[in-house]
Amino acid sequence: MGLSDLFEVRIVFDESHLFFPRIIQGLLLAMALVIVVVRGIPTLRAVWAGHRTWPVMDGPFDHLRFFGTLGLTVAYFLLMPPVGEMVPNTGLGFLIVSIPYMAALSVLYLHRRDRRTLLLAMANALIAPVAVWYLLARLLNVTLP
Amino acid sequence: MKKLSLGLCLAATVAGGIATTSAALADTGFPNNLRIVIGSKSTGGDTYQNTAIVAEALAEKLDINVKVDAVGATAAFKTLKRVSNGSTIMMFHDQSYLGYLYGRKGYENPFEEYRIGPTVSINPGSAYLVAQGSPFQGLDELMTACADGTDIRVAIQPGGVSEIGYSAMKNAIRIEHPGKEGCLVAVNRGSQSDKNQAMFDGLADLIHGSVQANEQYTRLPADDQKAMRFVWLTARNQTIQQANPEGMGQTSREDLLQYVEPNVSVTQDGEKNFTFDKEFFFLFNKDMDPALIEELDQALTEIFAEGEIQETQKTSFFIPNFMPSAEAEAYLKDKMSQYATIIDALHN
Amino acid sequence: MDVLSALDPLFFVLISAGAAIGIVFGAIPGMTATMAIAVCLPLTYALDLNHGLALLLGLYVGGISGGLVPAILLNIPGTPSSITTTFDGYPMCQRGEGERALKIGVVSSLFGGLFSAAVLFLFAPVLSDFAIKFSYVEKFLIIFLALTVIASLSRNLLMGLFSGLIGVWLALIGTYDVSVGGNGDTRLMTEAMEPYLSEGFSLLPVLIGLFGVAAILKEAEQGIRENTEGMRITLEKGARFSLGVFRNQGVNLVRSGVIGTFIGMLPGVGGSAASVLSYTQQKNFSKAPEKMGTGVPEGVVASESANNGLTGGALVPLLSLGIPGDSTTAVMIGAFTLQGVQVGPLFIGENLETWNTMMVALVFANLVMFAIMFFAIKYVARVVMVPKYLLYPIIMIMCVVGAYAINYGVMFDVWTLLLFGLGGYLAGKVGIEIAPLVIGFILGGQAEVYFVKSLESFGTYTIFFTKSPIAMVLWGLIVLSIAFSVYNLVKASRRKTQEGGA
Repeated sequence: MGLSDLFEVRIVFDESHLFFPRIIQGLLLAMALVIVVVRGIPTLRAVWAGHRTWPVMDGPFDHLRFFGTLGLTVAYFLLMPPVGEMVPNTGLGFLIVSIPYMAALSVLYLHRRDRRTLLLAMANALIAPVAVWYLLARLLNVTLP
Repeated sequence: MKKLSLGLCLAATVAGGIATTSAALADTGFPNNLRIVIGSKSTGGDTYQNTAIVAEALAEKLDINVKVDAVGATAAFKTLKRVSNGSTIMMFHDQSYLGYLYGRKGYENPFEEYRIGPTVSINPGSAYLVAQGSPFQGLDELMTACADGTDIRVAIQPGGVSEIGYSAMKNAIRIEHPGKEGCLVAVNRGSQSDKNQAMFDGLADLIHGSVQANEQYTRLPADDQKAMRFVWLTARNQTIQQANPEGMGQTSREDLLQYVEPNVSVTQDGEKNFTFDKEFFFLFNKDMDPALIEELDQALTEIFAEGEIQETQKTSFFIPNFMPSAEAEAYLKDKMSQYATIIDALHN
Repeated sequence: MDVLSALDPLFFVLISAGAAIGIVFGAIPGMTATMAIAVCLPLTYALDLNHGLALLLGLYVGGISGGLVPAILLNIPGTPSSITTTFDGYPMCQRGEGERALKIGVVSSLFGGLFSAAVLFLFAPVLSDFAIKFSYVEKFLIIFLALTVIASLSRNLLMGLFSGLIGVWLALIGTYDVSVGGNGDTRLMTEAMEPYLSEGFSLLPVLIGLFGVAAILKEAEQGIRENTEGMRITLEKGARFSLGVFRNQGVNLVRSGVIGTFIGMLPGVGGSAASVLSYTQQKNFSKAPEKMGTGVPEGVVASESANNGLTGGALVPLLSLGIPGDSTTAVMIGAFTLQGVQVGPLFIGENLETWNTMMVALVFANLVMFAIMFFAIKYVARVVMVPKYLLYPIIMIMCVVGAYAINYGVMFDVWTLLLFGLGGYLAGKVGIEIAPLVIGFILGGQAEVYFVKSLESFGTYTIFFTKSPIAMVLWGLIVLSIAFSVYNLVKASRRKTQEGGA
């Protein structure tokens, strides 16, 4: 067997979609092993010995704002298509759902909820989606939910 | 004068924007905002152009807004399945059933899963080319060489309209020289540029291309590495006959007719010549209100009777080809079954 | 003389309007030049060819340039090709130098745009003959060269490479698309995921998810502390823009312009590779490579002059081969066809008048882009003063608009935003590095096609070394690039230990 045979490769077209992913997965696996050995084990030891906490757990965590953002966003995404389908292909789903979403998000993020800031937040929640919707969906015919 | 026309243009844009808000309820079953999704992701391609031409005419005829969205085949089929109220319809071409015949992911039998709507136009440009300096003069020489045992490599995009011509050649070799069809080898490539590149790299003897994209290459001086020659246009003779006499670029309709059957023949079953026209047609959700389909048929009948749209289509080298839904469905079903025979013969 | 007759006031008005609309599209995360052109394409039906092209070229230049605004101010790449602009632009902005960074970016963009226009005008036919010498093998090597930036971008080499590989892996999810010559089969997914993922994750939603949404989640975790007062102070302290910044950037400008133009010329390789590649090269040749990524002008210069270099570059194959250099020019082909004009190797010779007016339009579009952006910057840069409780909701809805519109209305792209926002947030916690991951994601798909197709055609790995002299030169560059980044890493870590010891 000559040296050139060593480099030979035959790719069957019907299977060719798996060729590159296999290489990448092989490399990923190899690197993951190396990382576990080089970094994971020392970290694990340090945590075990109580020198440090898990890297994920450090620092303060604002549960309300973090999960609030996630929850509101999921609700926002879920509501947009069905609302949009009530008046198909007008982008109104985006407009109608964006306003309460923005308002809720702003209020969630506010630390000092006084009249001025709340008013600003409401104005923002109203103006921004309307402006975006009018400019894009109406004037430029961009597809929105 | 120019200022005025700009003013008009801007005013028209703004008015177009506002019109939708205040549009009087038109006398149509379609919603005020009709969306046509297409099976291509490109807004520069032939599917988009053909759809845009029809969309514009429809918008005027039905007095509604019509918008074309290039979402691509998978997303378009998915949307079509979901929306049955007629607010979204689809436009695509023969790929919709060829993808199914070739077993591609994301394609199902369109005659079972959707309703087939009217056809509107043909892109007659599907072509096969060799390098200018190729030893093979015509397609018959290529196929004979193949039968004599020379490997002929054909650059195509697999699984659809680009492959069907290749399948037809393979089938013809199978019929005329049984057992030799293995010598025709597919070089699977993507875009037109990839297929051209395969020829420049010397990796393909024959490439699939189009009259529109490759005509200028056929006029390059022979010593240019990029120079090519047409050997076959898959369109029906009568389709090319309908093109404007100027043809495309410097290649007149007369010139183009040289490369169409019966002048170039690829047999389909030993008697009749194979042809392939890429035809654009509507697809609907299976449960869409038949009244809407009828309305669309009617609107298109009127549009094509007025005759203006044909001129627009021909300027962009498309061939007008209107058939109302029922006729279109029967016609395309027959077309599909003919190609199914070819593809089955090669895979068994 | 015919050229002059085409250059009426409307011609210039259309270019300006195009550039302005383009900038807006480019500046909205997720909206691209391609979309700007697609949206305005119907307007060109009413215009003749020259006027239609004027509008489209204005949109093109504006759209490519606008991407730097959110990249610098919000750390969200407005278009994929401004990804490397975030690396140095955003840190500058955080130091109160947003306006300066923007101006540097705009000047570099102008240079890149004009440079590539000149190249296009002078050398288009010659260059297109050179471009077709690049087959899959050479293109793979170019992508590979761009990927070497991962080594030099990583904070930790091991984790950086791992992140890059994850990026490539994510890019492979979906169909091995027939439109690039694949076999159309799906991989890396289950049957149940096919309806959503058969096209894979779209690039822009992934980018804005990883950059925009992830950043908002991270801030939310910290409780969205307002810091507008602090921002005001840094804004006043921040260094001012002066042209002096460019004193030592001549080589950088030209090199990046050349890289941008050249990559733009290669059909299929596309935009993002250009700025990544020129950023890599700048880092390799920089006098202070360790500073790149911490907010230095040279990074912005490299990235922006390359991505505007694309504009002229991508027009080379369009006008001299009839083949689009990127997705934006692909839409332009449609505009030509609708006007009954054919593009191909004979286009320039047969349409001299159109060709000349196009050149005028391209140059003028760059100048207008510069004028609009340079003078608007002062106000735009104030975005950092907007309190977060108002700004973040706006960013969220803009991200949604961009993601939904990028494929003309696919809801899954919007979910992609959240998926990658959350993913990016969590990845940061476990030491996965976002920049290498994104670069892997952007280039992964092309790397696959060029690699697999090369092997399919030639059947041996040795082809990558022996294909052509061009391949050998590219290998030289790859080896150099890796050597440089290793050398820099070693130097940096040695300095760190020295400092630690002292």
